[in-house]
Amino acid sequence: MAALPTMRQLGCLRSLIKTQEAIQPQLARRFISTAYSQRPQRVPLPQNLPEQFLSQLPTRMLPENAPKPIKVYTPPPSARKACKDPIGKVTELQLETLDPKGERKALFDYRRNPRSIKPGDIIRVTFKNGDPFNGVVLSIKLRGIDTSFLLRNELTRVAVEMSVKVFNPNVQSVEIVQRAQRKIRRARLYYMRSRKHDRRSVENVVNAYVRQKRAFMGGGKR
Amino acid sequence: MIQLKTLLTCIDNSGASVVECVNVLKKKRPATIGDRIVVVVQKQRAAGSEGSSATALASKVRRGDIRHAVVVRVKKELQRDDGTVVRFGDNACVLVNKAGDPIGSRMNGIVGQELRGKKWSKILSLAPVHV
Amino acid sequence: MPPRLPGKLLQLSLSLRDIQLTVPRVPVRTFGIRSLNPPKPSRFNNNPGLPVLESTSTAALRRKANSLPLRTGAIGIKKGMTAIFDAETGKRIPCTVLQLDRVEVVSHKTREQHGYFAVQVGAGWKHPSNMPNSLLGHFSANGISPKRHVFEFRVKDESGLLPVGQSIHANWFQEGQYVDTRSNTKGKGFAGVMKRHGFHGQDRSHGVSLTHRSMGSAGPSQGGGSRVYPGKKMAGNMGNTQNTVQNLKILKVDTDAGLVVVSGAISGPKGCVVRIQDAIKKPWPEIASAEPVAAAAA
Repeated sequence: MAALPTMRQLGCLRSLIKTQEAIQPQLARRFISTAYSQRPQRVPLPQNLPEQFLSQLPTRMLPENAPKPIKVYTPPPSARKACKDPIGKVTELQLETLDPKGERKALFDYRRNPRSIKPGDIIRVTFKNGDPFNGVVLSIKLRGIDTSFLLRNELTRVAVEMSVKVFNPNVQSVEIVQRAQRKIRRARLYYMRSRKHDRRSVENVVNAYVRQKRAFMGGGKR
Repeated sequence: MIQLKTLLTCIDNSGASVVECVNVLKKKRPATIGDRIVVVVQKQRAAGSEGSSATALASKVRRGDIRHAVVVRVKKELQRDDGTVVRFGDNACVLVNKAGDPIGSRMNGIVGQELRGKKWSKILSLAPVHV
Repeated sequence: MPPRLPGKLLQLSLSLRDIQLTVPRVPVRTFGIRSLNPPKPSRFNNNPGLPVLESTSTAALRRKANSLPLRTGAIGIKKGMTAIFDAETGKRIPCTVLQLDRVEVVSHKTREQHGYFAVQVGAGWKHPSNMPNSLLGHFSANGISPKRHVFEFRVKDESGLLPVGQSIHANWFQEGQYVDTRSNTKGKGFAGVMKRHGFHGQDRSHGVSLTHRSMGSAGPSQGGGSRVYPGKKMAGNMGNTQNTVQNLKILKVDTDAGLVVVSGAISGPKGCVVRIQDAIKKPWPEIASAEPVAAAAA
C-alpha cells in the first residue's frame, strides 16, 4: 500500500499509539485466580480491655509484656572536653617547674619577642656541670617543650655543631655575646656550613666578652 | 657512622695522619664515638720537617700497619641523654694497642664526651678540649 | 606421654594381683565353657590415682594464675607524643600521652557463668540513636551511659572485679609503675613481601625483568611435596593488627584532665584506642594505696 507523504509523517505517531495500546490492557487484565484483594488490616487490641478477657490473649500481647522503652543514662562529665589539648597540657605542667617565669621561652621566641635571640647572634651556653659552649646561632626550632637552638663554632680547627634543648634542666644560663652585625634575612643559616660563608671560630669574640664582663663584675665588687 | 673503608684522621702523635677503617669491633652497626675499630695506616705524618726527635716518635707506626683505634669524633650527629645533639666537622680516631692504652703520648684536637661513658677516660684526659 | 605412664604401671600390677589373688579366693561357680584367659583390664586409663587432666578450664585458669593481673585496666585514647625532662638527672624521656575519657565498669565475666574472670570496661560516649537496641539494653541494664569503646580486661580472681558502674580515673595508675599497652598498629594496606616480611627481592639486572620486588619461589619442587606450605609468607594486608608493648613506665598522671603519660612509643596512629593494664612482667603495683583513691573518686 502506497501511503501518502503526509501519512508517512504521521506514521511515526503510530508506534506511540501502539505501545499505549499494548500496555493499557495488560494493566487492566485480571484473572480470577489472581484477583487482587487488600491485605487484611490488623485489628488493634481494644483499649481498656476488661481484665477477665486478658487470659484469652497470648502472653506476648499481654500489657505487662509490651516492649518497654530502654532507659538511657546520662554520661558522666567528659575528660575530653575538660582537656582539649593534652599535649599542650603536659607541656604546660612541665614548664611550670622548668621555666616558671617564662623567661627562657621569651628569650628564644624570635617570632614574637623583638629582644629575643635570633639566628646569627653569637651566644654562650653554660651547662650545670660547668662546661660552656659558644657559637653562632644557625637556627631556632620552636616546638613547645622540645624548643631547641643550633650553635656552630670551630674548636681546635674542627667545626662543632651542637643543638641544645632550651628547657633542658642541664642548661644553667644562656648569654648573648654579640648580636648579628647585619640584618639577616633568613631563619635558617645552614649556608654558614659552606666554606665560603663559614664564620669559623667565635672564641675570640667570646673571650673578649668574658674578659670585659669579669672586669666589670670585679670593678663593681671593689 | 664509621664502617669499612671510612677514612679517618688520626689526632695523636703516633705518626699516622690518615687511617682507614677495616673493621668495627663488638657491634654490628657503624661505629661512633667511643667504639673500638681496626684500622690500616694510610698516610704517615710528615716526619722530616720536625727534626730527629719527632722521627723517633713517628716511627711508632708505619704506612700499611694494622692497628686498633678508638673513634673520638664523628660527623654523624649524636644525641645525648638530655636531648643535646652534637656533631663534628670530621671523623677522627686515636690509635690504641691491644690492651687499650693509647699509642701516642699527646693528642691535638677536640674529642667527644661520650668517651667517658665508654671507659676511655685515659684518652679523654690526654685531649686538650672535650665537648 | 608422661601422664599415662603411672596408670599403665598400675594396670600391670593390678592384673598380676587378679591372677594370683582373685582366682583361688572367690569360688565362682561357672557353667558351660569357660574361657582360659581371664578378662583383661580395660585398656583405657580409668582407674583412680590418675593425674589431673591439664586440658580443663580449671587447669587453664591455674596455669594463667601467675600471668593474670590482679586488677582491671583502662581504655585510653592516644593523643600524641612529647618528651619529659627529669629535673634531677636532666634526662629527656620521650613519652606518649593517653587520655582516659569517661571510663566505667560495664559488667563482669565470672568463672561460674563464663568460665573466667574479667571486667568489661567502656569508654567515651555514643549517641543512643546510633546504637543497636541490644547493646543499649546491656548498658541500661547495668545503669551506664552508652559507651563508644568496650573492652574486657581479664583478672585473676573475683577480688579483682570492680563494682559495676565504678569510674576508672587516671589515678588508677600510679606514677612510676609499669604497664602493658595494647593497640592496633598503623595499617599499611596491601604490602609486598619486601615491605611486609623484609624479603630481599630480586636483582636489578642479570636478566631479571619486571619482578624486582616479588618473592620468587613459593616453595620446593617435587622433593618438598610440590605444594605451598601453610603459613608461607606472602604479600598481603600489613598492619592494623593488635600489638602489645610491655613494661612502659607511667611518668605522669593528671586525674582532672584524664591524662596518663607513658614512657616510650605505643603502636597506632593518634586517636587510636589503647588498652592499658598493669605489666605482667613486673611486680604488681601496691593496690592498697590505689584503691581508696579510686573509690573516693567514684
